[in-house]
Amino acid sequence: MSMDLSISRFWRKKEIIYKLNGAKCKSCGKVHYPPKNACPYCGSRDLEYIELPRKGKLISYTTIYAIPEGARSQSPIYFGLIDLGITKITAELTDITDPSILKKDMEVEATLRKTQEDRDAGLIYYVLKFRPVLVQK
Amino acid sequence: MVVYVEGVGMTKIDRHYDFSLKDLAAKAAFNAIDQAGGTDGIDYLIFSSSLASLQDSQLDSASYLALSLGLKGVRALNVEAGEASGLAAISVAKSLLESHQADKVLVVGAEKLNEFVSSKVYKQLQMLYDGDTKSFYNIGFAGEAALLMRLYMDTYNVDRETMSYWPALMHSNAKENPYAMLNFAIKPDKVAKSQILADPITLLDSYPLGDGAAAVILSNKDVAKSPIAKISAIESSTGYGSIELSDDPLQFDSLSDAYRRISNIADVSNIDFIEIHDSFTITAMIILETLGLANRGKAAELVSTGYFSPGGKGPAANLSGGLKARGHPLGATGVYQIVESSLQVSGKFPGIKLSNAKKGLVVSLNGLGSSAYVALVEEV
Repeated sequence: MSMDLSISRFWRKKEIIYKLNGAKCKSCGKVHYPPKNACPYCGSRDLEYIELPRKGKLISYTTIYAIPEGARSQSPIYFGLIDLGITKITAELTDITDPSILKKDMEVEATLRKTQEDRDAGLIYYVLKFRPVLVQK
Repeated sequence: MVVYVEGVGMTKIDRHYDFSLKDLAAKAAFNAIDQAGGTDGIDYLIFSSSLASLQDSQLDSASYLALSLGLKGVRALNVEAGEASGLAAISVAKSLLESHQADKVLVVGAEKLNEFVSSKVYKQLQMLYDGDTKSFYNIGFAGEAALLMRLYMDTYNVDRETMSYWPALMHSNAKENPYAMLNFAIKPDKVAKSQILADPITLLDSYPLGDGAAAVILSNKDVAKSPIAKISAIESSTGYGSIELSDDPLQFDSLSDAYRRISNIADVSNIDFIEIHDSFTITAMIILETLGLANRGKAAELVSTGYFSPGGKGPAANLSGGLKARGHPLGATGVYQIVESSLQVSGKFPGIKLSNAKKGLVVSLNGLGSSAYVALVEEV
């Protein structure tokens, strides 16, 4: 987290963080994530919330070593730009055993994972991250 | 309308452990004030800083700075626009002058990025990016730019080696600039071999964490006595600022809008030099292409041929050394760019001087273009 951990902030964003709720504009039809107060493309306030697909393909990816405070034990952190078909999102990638498996167009799926702990309060914060889809042989 | 630059000041960008934010601001501000003939007639102090509240643990910092500078009673405002704060502050100052709310304005940009350990600063710098999408993850300050750099290299088939000419050019320019934090030369092949921050971005693709301050005295035509330069126009816009929202992340939409707007009010052709916001090598490439100074996917190659080098065919890019090598004390950076460009058009820049430089374009962004500012600085 770049912002300080906040229980109310995570509670408020639960539909977005855990159900992957995006917004579809009833005026121009475009989908964005997470929902803003008006459509970023046409300005319409007529938005409906939709659950986004939980599988997508990597457009771009990175292995991060310049890790912010509070997450250094998780180094390195993998992060990707993901095409979900109806929209694109950026998310942390997880279960990457070796960075050389990261490839453009690799299939990834959402999974619930820890992002940070609040050491003083002992709280653990979870988010959706994306992991490689295992190929059935 | 045109406003005049009557005095300038800046500190070398460095790890100034022995100076506070106000000490640095005072060094730059006193220089600018003394050059402009003293404190008489200063109507406003605009203070530009983006992390002052966190790094200096201070709110209403403009007012406390006014007191510390001996300017108690002056009107004072903080301007914060992330990395674009400096040009945003200049833009506000220009508006005050144009509307005759003020005749003389002191703009001070100051920032300290070395008060805390780097992992804490990475966390603070993550706030430059859209908190709606990025705040639940631990991606630091280089994660999103790294996605953009890989996308750029994949889309246009540009190799790592070609990208590395930009940092080398910045260091080569900074070597001559006594105010630059990293005033030493590097060879392009060093860039890929340096520490990886967020693959493919390395330490040498990025800016150093530095402390610094820059200041200018701006005034209206009516009161300007011996200006060194003029700011003919400044424009801005807002944009997506996130690569997943944009259909075309390889151009900065906000910069494209701001540039179109400034082109409508001023003649931005035949620019002698540019000072652009190269927070990362990739940011510089996309700025050059968004401004139309290079074709899409061709900026890195043009840089490698010397097109943007001093004496090259194109406008000379970042004679200061840019964010890359002069340094990037966030909120102060835009003010540095204005100071350097004003000195360049008056033939007084202490680093690489262009002969006969008349016009310079200054570009500042926050993050990946949540906001963009463009200013035209010309000789008087």
